[in-house]
Amino acid sequence: MRVFNEIAVVTTICIKSIPQRFWASFSTVVAVGLVVTVLLAFLAMAAGFQQTLRGTGTKDMAILMRAGSQAELNSGVTRDQARLIEEAPGVMKDADGKPLVSPELYVIVDGVKKTAVPADGNLKKAPRSNLTLRGLGPAGIAVRPGLKIVEGRAFKPGTNELMVGRALQKDFAGVDVGDTVKLGNSNWLVVGAFELGGSVFESELWADTPEVQDLFHRQNVFQSIRARLTGPDALKALSDYAANDPQLKLDVTTEADYYAQQASRTSDLIQKLGWPLAIAMAFGALAGALNTMYSSVAARAQEIATLRCIGFSGTSSFIGTLLESLVLALVGGFVGTLVTWVLFDGLTGSTLSGASFSQIVFTFHLTPAVALQGVILALVVGLVGGVFPAWRAARIPIVEAYGTP
Amino acid sequence: MSDLYLLWRNLFRRKLRTFLMMLAIFVAFVIYGVLGSIHYAFEHGVDSSADNRLVVVNKITFIQPLPYAYVGKIAAIKGVKNLTFANWFGGYYQDARNQIGTFAVDPESYLRIYRDDLRIDPAARDAFIHDRTSMVVGEAIATKYGWKVGDRIPINSNIFTNKTDGSHTWELTVAGIAYAAKESFNTSFIIFQYENFNESKTFGKDTVGWITLETDSAAVNDKVAATIDDLFANSTAETNTQSEKAFGKAFLAQLGNIALIITLVVGAAFATILMIVGNTMVMAVRERTKEIAVLKTLGFPSWRIWRQVLGESVLLSLLGGVPGLLVAGLLVTLLSKLASGAIPGLALTLPVAGLGVAFMLLLGVVTGFLPAWNALRLNIVTALGRL
Repeated sequence: MRVFNEIAVVTTICIKSIPQRFWASFSTVVAVGLVVTVLLAFLAMAAGFQQTLRGTGTKDMAILMRAGSQAELNSGVTRDQARLIEEAPGVMKDADGKPLVSPELYVIVDGVKKTAVPADGNLKKAPRSNLTLRGLGPAGIAVRPGLKIVEGRAFKPGTNELMVGRALQKDFAGVDVGDTVKLGNSNWLVVGAFELGGSVFESELWADTPEVQDLFHRQNVFQSIRARLTGPDALKALSDYAANDPQLKLDVTTEADYYAQQASRTSDLIQKLGWPLAIAMAFGALAGALNTMYSSVAARAQEIATLRCIGFSGTSSFIGTLLESLVLALVGGFVGTLVTWVLFDGLTGSTLSGASFSQIVFTFHLTPAVALQGVILALVVGLVGGVFPAWRAARIPIVEAYGTP
Repeated sequence: MSDLYLLWRNLFRRKLRTFLMMLAIFVAFVIYGVLGSIHYAFEHGVDSSADNRLVVVNKITFIQPLPYAYVGKIAAIKGVKNLTFANWFGGYYQDARNQIGTFAVDPESYLRIYRDDLRIDPAARDAFIHDRTSMVVGEAIATKYGWKVGDRIPINSNIFTNKTDGSHTWELTVAGIAYAAKESFNTSFIIFQYENFNESKTFGKDTVGWITLETDSAAVNDKVAATIDDLFANSTAETNTQSEKAFGKAFLAQLGNIALIITLVVGAAFATILMIVGNTMVMAVRERTKEIAVLKTLGFPSWRIWRQVLGESVLLSLLGGVPGLLVAGLLVTLLSKLASGAIPGLALTLPVAGLGVAFMLLLGVVTGFLPAWNALRLNIVTALGRL
């Protein structure tokens, strides 16, 4: 019990004396805070990107593409192949007995990011970014039960009308409902905006298939086939069916797997950038923390010696000093987390995804798991930065402490 | 006792403290050196492309092809000196993850346009022009896979199907290796004959991906671009013509605001050391209050004391920063090898290093200013009385 009392006393002295070393302590807090902010900004970006892509795939949706094509953009499937899939086992049918199969066209057009709009507002001269234009038939909406039209209406078949994803509207200019978008030499009217569970589809433009085929001179060619599956075994049945038909040289995966694979590449890259930077910066902050704590011990040398004279143990000085360091680092960690939350959480960004070769809009997301990593990094800095000075505090020879003015 | 000696002894009066500050400065300059070099390589790579080079792409997007007939039509336009074209092949080697920038090109005109960027043996150039199933491999790719002249390599496409056997594979012979004549030119590419490609693919015949051209001079760029775009206005494939520089910049911007991210991170690193070092310097000089008072009593002029303190902080900054930049240089070289030419011209260049040294001097002056000012204002009587 006595030890705990001692520790409590020493810790109180340490913490209460922080204002005497205000600037030194403040610099430690700021240094740790900056390190944590940098780390969390990168991790929040990675988490947000991953969430968007992971949220896209469902396990009960199959995606079929030409064998070896890797991504929708490279793939090509024919109408005949789509017809064969409509008769395949494992494919769900709607109430009228029609198979839930959607052959889709996937092409790239371009748009202007809001951040790239020039001062005069003229979009014609602005640098452009790749966007996905997806051509869908009526089945395209039926196979996606989570689809919500949040503004306007769906495009009418046979017209140059567009539906735009909600995320895309946040980051790109000139794609609000009622706007006209020029693609090639034809004008397209934006008639609706949709949400689909925060998925990649919300970064896309959707239109009626035949119109898009006309624009791109790609009659009767599609990039992928979406098929709704009846249950967990359906994918196997569908793959076997495709493997046994020489006309169907297709790769069959679930949408969930397809997008998860795409997610891991980019978000790995972001994390691989964030961690080394944060660790390097943490060494800088560590140097600051050690400096502060050594000067704290030096400043309190006589107090510590006095306490030891009146019978306090070295352990209490050790723990008290260590706790001071941990408290400073923890405050820095919280400040860093708070700054990241205020500045970055909810921020939309967009980047070119390697696999789709078009922009994916995502939202920075400071998840609790991410925040925890920041606080842990702060505590590690506090621990290492405190333990050596604390060791010195516990072992200051009493005579020497009084000898130094 | 020279001033420099005094300065040195003062700096290392507390070895551990000085070492820790040097470490903090070192880390910040490693971060600056690495990120600064990456940023410079990106910007410079784009900037170094010739001023009179234009790129013609489909107006819908640069991925959408153009009719082959456009090549002849554009060549006839006044102000166009040279032109060539290329097609994206979606090439990879063995595993689909080993993607290689592979382009189907017209050998003669392509090598003519890039004559100042690429260095290629004349014999290899002739072999490439005359052998329909040959390819020229950029140095980075040749090194990565150990390919030699004469090797026959199967290159796969994730887009096209080969009509001859229904596979996605084209067997190509290495006619030669292309080296970068400018450091900033990316050599992780393969080029092979357009004729071979055009006749063996199953769809998209007689189309080209984009057209690259040289104008008589940069002054006529805008006029030529406007003439081309007007010529194809209201056709089924409208064009968008811009300088290669602008095209490269726009593509880079698609990845995200790299410059902003790098500035923020480097800014955070510098803010950290500014806090730590600035604060420690104030503390260090404060400890020496009495000594400074003694120096003043002995008749040291103010400017010498001012120089002492500022010299100490600048020296500290250089002792931490210069090794930081050197290590950054090593890391960048290593990174450049690891990326195998993906970021061409990645090296710690003189402008980046020079700016780094300027930052060190600035950091030294800023962190030394307050303590030097304090020392200067010091009243000898109070200082000697102060414990």
